[in-house]
Amino acid sequence: MSTINFSAREINFKLVYYGPGLSGKTTNLKQIYEHVPGDGKGEMVSLQTEDERTLFFDFLPLDLGKVNGFKTRFHLYTVPGQVFYNSSRRLILRGVDGIVFVADSAPNRLRANAESLRNLRENLEEYNLRLGEVPYVIQVNKRDLPDALSVEMIQAVLDPSRSVPHFEAVASEFKGVVEPLKAVSKMVLEKLAQKA
Amino acid sequence: MLEPSLDLYGETYERVEAVLADLLVKCHARYALIVDLKGFVLVHQRAVWAPKPPSLDSLATLIASNHSANVAIAKLFGEDAFRETVQQGADVGTYVEELGTEALLVTVFDGSAALGKVKLFTKQAVVRLLEALAEDHGPPPTLDLDEAFSDDAAKLFDGLFGKRTQP
Ligand SMILES: Nc1nc2c(ncn2[C@@H]2O[C@H](COP(=O)(O)OP(=O)(O)OP(=O)(O)O)[C@@H](O)[C@H]2O)c(=O)[nH]1
Ligand SMILES: [Mg+2]
Repeated sequence: MSTINFSAREINFKLVYYGPGLSGKTTNLKQIYEHVPGDGKGEMVSLQTEDERTLFFDFLPLDLGKVNGFKTRFHLYTVPGQVFYNSSRRLILRGVDGIVFVADSAPNRLRANAESLRNLRENLEEYNLRLGEVPYVIQVNKRDLPDALSVEMIQAVLDPSRSVPHFEAVASEFKGVVEPLKAVSKMVLEKLAQKA
Repeated sequence: MLEPSLDLYGETYERVEAVLADLLVKCHARYALIVDLKGFVLVHQRAVWAPKPPSLDSLATLIASNHSANVAIAKLFGEDAFRETVQQGADVGTYVEELGTEALLVTVFDGSAALGKVKLFTKQAVVRLLEALAEDHGPPPTLDLDEAFSDDAAKLFDGLFGKRTQP
C-alpha cells in the first residue's frame, strides 16, 4: 500500500531490507547514502547499539524526482537481524511495499538465512500479507568471502523454485547494491501502475 | 483503486491545513504535522515565527515508529495503548495524539507554550480533523499511470546514482 498524497502530489513507497544478523543490510543503506548525491537523498537515521548492530531500524529517504507529475519517493528501512529483536522487525514491516532479502554467503550462515526467511513469512502474516504478493528480490551478499557458498546452494534453500530475482553482491564495496534496489523498485512501481 | 491512508484531497486538504494553522496559533506551538503510521508526512504547518524545522521525513519516521513501539509496550500490559505521549526536553517538546486508526497528529512546541494548552488544543484539533475527514468530499482523484510510469521511474533511478538522464 503505497501512500499517495494527491494534494501535495506525492507518491511514497516503503522498501525494507530484511535478512539474518550481520548479513549486510545496514551496509547497503550506508553505501546507497554515500553514492547518491545531495539532492536525491535525505538524512539517514540509524537506531543502533553501541557495537553498531541495528536495534530498531535504519532509515534513508530517496527522492526520485517527478514521475507523471508526482513527486516520487522511496523510504528505505533495514530491520535488526538478530533473532531476539523480532518485535521490532514486525513493526518495521507495517505498510511495506517491497522487500530486499539480504542473504549471507558464509557457510555457517546458511541456516540463519533460511530461518530469517521463515521469520519474514511469519511476520508478514501478521499483516495478512504473503511473500508472493509483495515485490521481493534476493541479494546474495558477501560474495568476496573465500569460502562463500555457491549461489545455487543458497538459492536451493531460499528459493527452490527459482522464481525470485537474485543478485550477487559485495555490499561493503558497493557491488550489487544498486541492482536489487532498482529491480524491487521497478516491481513496486509496476504493481502500482497495474492497480491504477 | 488506490487507497491513500487518509482521504486528503481538494477541499478537505485545505480544511485540514486550516485546522493545523489554527492549532499553532491557539497554543503557540512551532509545528503541527499529520503523519501516517507508516511514517510519511501527510500535511504539515509551521508557525510564522518558528525556526526552520529539522528533516520532517526523519521526524515522521521516528514519531511513527516510537508510537508503534509504545503501543506494543502497552499491549504487553494488556492495555490497548498508552493514553498520551509527551516528550519534553529543556526547551522543545512533542505531543502526539492518534488521529483515527491510520494517522497521528503531532504538535511540536517550545518553552513559549504551556503544555496544558498544547494538550487541550491538540485534542480539540483531532475532533475537528475527524469531522472534516468524515464529510463526504466526493470521489478521490484518479491517478493515471501507464507503463511509461515505471519506465520513467527506472530512468530516474539511474539518475539517482549519478547518471542523470531525464525521461
Ligand atoms: N566480507 C564482506 N563483509 C561485508 C559485506 N557486506 C557487509 N559486510 C560486513 O558485515 C558486517 C555486518 O554488516 P551490517 O551491514 O552491519 O549487517 P546487518 O545485516 O545490518 O546486521 P544487523 O543490524 O545485526 O542485522 C560489517 O562488518 C560489514 O562491514 C560484504 O559484502 N563482504
Ligand atoms: Mg543493521
